[in-house]
Formats: sequence, C-alpha cells, structure tokens
Amino acid sequence: MLRTENLHKSFGSLNVLNGITTVINTGEVVAILGPSGSGKSTFLRCLNLLETPTQGHIFFKDIDITRPQSNILKMRENIGMVFQHFNLFPHMTVLQNITYAPMRVRKQTKADATTIALNLLQKVGLEEKAHVYPARLSGGQKQRVAIARTLAMQPEMVLFDEPTSALDPEMVKEVLEVMQDLARSGMTMAIVTHEMGFAREVASRILFINEGQIAEDAQPEQFFSNPTCDRAKIFLEKMLK
Amino acid sequence: MGFHSRNKFFNTDQSTKTWGRLGRFRAKWLVPTFAIAIVSISWMLHGTTPIPAQDIPTTLIMGTSADYKPFEFHDTSSGEDKIVGFDIDIANRLAQELGFKLEIKDMEFNGLIPALQSGRVDFVMAGMTPTPERQKNVDFSDIYYTSQNTIIAKKEANLTTTEVLKGKTVGAQLGSLQQEVAEKIPGATVVTRNRVPDLIQEINAKRIDAAIVEDTIARPYAAVYPDLNFAVIPNKDGGYAIAFPKGSKLVQPFNQVMANMKQDGSLDALAKKWFEDQGKPAGLGFQQIIPSIPFILGGVWVTLAFTFVSALLGFAWAIVLALCKISTLKPLRWLANAYTSIFRGTPLILQIALVYFATPQLTGYNIPAFQAGVIAFALNSGAYVSETLRAGIMAVDRGQREAAMSLGVPYSLMMKDIILPQALRNILPALANEAINLLKDSALVSTIGAADLLRRATIVGAEKYLYFEPLIVAGVVYYVLVMLLTIATSALEKRLQKSA
Repeated sequence: MLRTENLHKSFGSLNVLNGITTVINTGEVVAILGPSGSGKSTFLRCLNLLETPTQGHIFFKDIDITRPQSNILKMRENIGMVFQHFNLFPHMTVLQNITYAPMRVRKQTKADATTIALNLLQKVGLEEKAHVYPARLSGGQKQRVAIARTLAMQPEMVLFDEPTSALDPEMVKEVLEVMQDLARSGMTMAIVTHEMGFAREVASRILFINEGQIAEDAQPEQFFSNPTCDRAKIFLEKMLK
Repeated sequence: MGFHSRNKFFNTDQSTKTWGRLGRFRAKWLVPTFAIAIVSISWMLHGTTPIPAQDIPTTLIMGTSADYKPFEFHDTSSGEDKIVGFDIDIANRLAQELGFKLEIKDMEFNGLIPALQSGRVDFVMAGMTPTPERQKNVDFSDIYYTSQNTIIAKKEANLTTTEVLKGKTVGAQLGSLQQEVAEKIPGATVVTRNRVPDLIQEINAKRIDAAIVEDTIARPYAAVYPDLNFAVIPNKDGGYAIAFPKGSKLVQPFNQVMANMKQDGSLDALAKKWFEDQGKPAGLGFQQIIPSIPFILGGVWVTLAFTFVSALLGFAWAIVLALCKISTLKPLRWLANAYTSIFRGTPLILQIALVYFATPQLTGYNIPAFQAGVIAFALNSGAYVSETLRAGIMAVDRGQREAAMSLGVPYSLMMKDIILPQALRNILPALANEAINLLKDSALVSTIGAADLLRRATIVGAEKYLYFEPLIVAGVVYYVLVMLLTIATSALEKRLQKSA
C-alpha cells in the first residue's frame, strides 16, 4: 500500500533520515521503534507529507506522492493520522470534531456524517460525550475521540505518532484497547510507540530505526526474543527493564 | 451610507415649490403681460415642470463654511440641522429668481477655493472678500456686503488700534481675509485657527493677545463675553462677493439679481434681519444648548455607523493582510509588511485628508465625507489589526494545523474554520481595544465635515458662541458609548471562555 524509496530528510545541517526504503503492505500493523532522536517520528510524518522529504520518493498505492503535481489532499484523505497531543479542535464539540472533515472534505450530508460519527463514538465507548467540548475530556477520552475523528474519514491506513506518550498511565490501556480493536478489524497501521508490550502483542511487524536508517525489520517474536543488531539489544534492555 | 441623509438637511428646494423656475420670473418683465398668464397657468397645470432658461443648470451646489454667524451657520435649536444666515438667504433668493435648485455643501473655509477649482461646488458664498490673490484663481461677483474688521482683545489689555498690536500675538481665521489684515500689522505675530470660536477661546485662555474678526461676526460675542473689548478697524477696502470658478457663466445673471435686490431694498432688509435683530442669548451655559442636545445626540448614529462599518471593513482587510504575512510567497509578505509600515507610520488624520481630497482629483468620483472616512479608517485599522491577527494565528497550536492537514482539509477551509476562530478567541481583548480606539478616533472625521458627534458639538458651539458646554456634552456621550462597548466585549469574552 505504501512504499518508500531512499527517503532522506534533513533540517538544516541536521540529517534525520538517511535513506529509508521499505514497504507497508495492506493489512499490516507496523510498529516503528527506536531510541529517541532516531528519526522514527520524522519518518512517520513524512509518510503523509507533514514533513517534506529532502530526497527520495513515497508511493501510495503505486502513485508517487512526492512529485510536485501530486494531489496531496486526496492522499491525506486516505491516510489518517493520530497525534501524541490529540490535536482536537477546541472550539468544536466532540461530534463536530468528528463530522467536520467528512462533511467538508468528503461532502457527506450532515445526517450521514452524524450517523457514522455516533457509530464510531459508540465503538470507542464515548457516545455520551458527543456534545461535550474537548476541554471537558480526560486525556484518554481525547485520544479516543481523535481516533474516531480519523476513522470517520474512512481512511485506508492510519498513522499513529506516539498515541499514548502524553497520557497518564491509567489511561494508556483504554486507548491501546481501541487500537487493538482497529488492528483486528484489518486496518493498515503504522505506529510509533514506546509501548513494547503492545508492539509485541498487536504488531505484525517491527521496524527498528536508528540514526535515520532501518536497523532491523523483523517479526515481533523474533525482534523481542532475538534482536540481531547491537543497538536494538541495548534498546530492548533499557525498555524492558 | 448613512451620510447621504445629510443632504436632506441641506436641500433648500422650497424655491421650486413656491416660485417656479426662472422662466416665470423673466417673463414678468421681459415679455408682455399675457405671457405671464400663459406661463403661470402652464406652470400651475404641470406642477414643477422646469422651463428651460439661459445656461443655468437645474441644480447648483453652493460651497460655504457654516461657522460664520450671522452670514452662515448651523441652526440646531429645532433639534434638526439647518444652515441659515445672511448669505444663505441671498442664495435662496438667487435660486428663486434664476430657477435653480440650491444644494449647500458645508466645508472648512480654506477648502472653498480648492472646491471651486476642482468643480466640487458651482459657487461659493462664505463672506469671502475678493482679494487680488483670490482673483487669480476664481472669479467674483459684485460686492454684496461691505465688511469691517474688529480687533477683539481682553478689556484690560487695551488693544484698540492696529498700531498698538505691534509685538503682540494676533489671531485670525485660517484662509480668511482677516488673516491677511493681521499679517499686514507691523510687528505682530500672526497665528491662525480654523474657526472663529477657537480664536475667542484662545483670547480667553490668553494664548493670544488679540484677534482680527469681521465686525458682524464679532459683535454677538460682546453679549456673551463682557470682559472682551471690540474695536472696529476703519475700513479701507474689502466687502463680500460670491466666488465662481474661472470663466463661470453664472457671474452675469447673479450680478443682475443682486442689483435688483439692492434696488428694491430686499438686501437691506436681509442685513437688518441678520445683523441687528440678534437678541441676547437666553439663559447661560448648558441651559442654552439644551434645545440643541437632540441635534448633538443625532451624531451618535453617525459615529456608531461609522465605527461599525470601518471596524468591519478594516477587519476583513486585516484578514487578507495577515494571510499575506504568513504566506510562503515572499512578494506577498513583503507587500503586506510594507503596507503596514506605511499606514502605521503616518498620521491617521493625514490619511483621511488624502483620501477625501485626492479621490475626486484622481478618479473624478466626488467621494462623500462618510465614505472617505470609512475607507481611510478601514485601511488604517487593517494595518494595525493585521499585526494582532498574525500574532494570534501564530499563537494557535501547530498541532491544529497538522490535524487539519492530516484530514485532507484544504488551506482555505482550515484557515476559515480551524485556525481563525481560535486566533480570534486569542486576540478578542485586543480587538475590543481596537474597536474602542476606532470609536474615539472617529471624531477625526469631523475634520472633513462628516456630521458626527464632535462635528455637531462644534457646530452648536459656533451657533451659541459657547465653547466648552457642547464639547462636554459630546465627551459624556463618547464616554458612555465606550463604556457600553467595554461592558459588551467583556460579556462576550466571558461567554467564549465558558465554551472553551
């Protein structure tokens, strides 16, 4: 579904990505792991062009989206993204947050969008919060709404950028459960996370990124029990302590 | 725009209603009597059907500076604004006899000759003396009134002749004949003010020693200010005439009518009406202006409409500018920044004057004061608010933008629905401040003659020979308006905070 070719990204003189070539197939749940500063978030943000790569190509369903004339908006409709800090629109209610893009971008009718939104809210267990403003929600609730907002666009793939890092520990579980349900439903997902247990249990594949390159690309079982590169070993020792 | 309504005060069209048009008058003494009957009957049958006459257009615009009682001034004692006076009566008579519809345009005295030259007005009656300097630029009718000048000074100063004014500071109305008279006094320092009431006030405040004022103008002040002395300067030349654009065809017919008025005594009758029947003012201070308070309060709507329209347009313009400033296109950023720099770096009052006076010359559109003021204010306010808005947009969390982008929301929708609403909430207190500033600064449009609160207060002041009282009334009204605006915006802020 998504393929990168020799992806480079630098901020000024700082090279963050140093040639990443990989493929994410339909239905895969890819956990992107790595030490902080390794470039994993930048890599994820390149995938829907929130960051513009300095070099290399990205193909979404075999269309090169890094070409200047490509329709970035259309691509983004199909690749959802969930952020560390939720980024809900504070001046809209939960329901408005979810229905806004489907109505304005996908041109759904208000009735259709509302039905879909309420259905999604029910799935993330927040249907009673439909008319509440985000300021009144807990962190975990906010992130569940954010996931519902992303899914309302009916994307073919969802990117998660450290979705639980800003949450209080007791709220991590409720968000991970929603993500797990989503993975089970067959959604293609790329997840930057520090939740090793989740990655091991839910991911179908691990990308370990170090110094802007893929240091290891493996099945979770193999990665967690028997990582091949030294950097991954040190990383796992620290994380699993 | 609301300002057009001011024309209703100024149209003196009773001429056509009561007298018919020029043809009837001329018929009275140019053709045999039976013609009168025919013309009169046809006129009665057809109402105000104009009978073509000479080269005189059906409507003529007269420029005046209606702060020159008793020649021309605003009468507000009925609660409505009417320009009246000796000159106005003569003008109405001219309109009757020559069969044109008279429109009066009120402006500052020193703007009258430029107005003639630019074709804004067809003739000027404003107690204007034909000096050689003025005759270079405009044509004059015969003299219809001979003026004398008076030295006004504090009684104890004992300044009664031009000789003793040597070394003194002498005031005169800017652009008036008296300014020239004052400048000819050897050794005197001449200062000018825009209006005669300002001069009187300057004498009272002892900022100037004396002022040279036209005699009939000066006389009524004697009743109001008993500690002032009024000394007539012996007259050598001078007198008032009607001014026309160079080569105007109106001069001859106007002279003809005025010659008739001199002959039949109606000119003297008007002089008697305006110069001698000036009773003592009734009551003192505030009591005197009570009848005029409704007129001053009428300015509230002008001021509010002006503020509202300017704020709205300025805000829309500010959004455009702010979007240019955060644009990735360098030329747009540069233009918006240069624009802001210019409009913040020059005085607002100058911008107003430029828009008002330059627009007719550049475009041929005779822009009304209200519109000119709104445009200048919107352009100016846009520059200030765009900076605030830019800061407000930058203060919106970056994640908001990214969330919208990741949902495939196009830039324009993202700005309109996601970023701007949040930016506005951030800068609401600053915007409220701007609205309050606009409300107060709107008083600046009085300089180009828009009938706002301040203008109306000064008009009443000139009419009643009072200075402070009308200004205090206007000041109280401004304060109340600002307070109401403050209360309204803080209520709005509270409501917004609740929903956040």
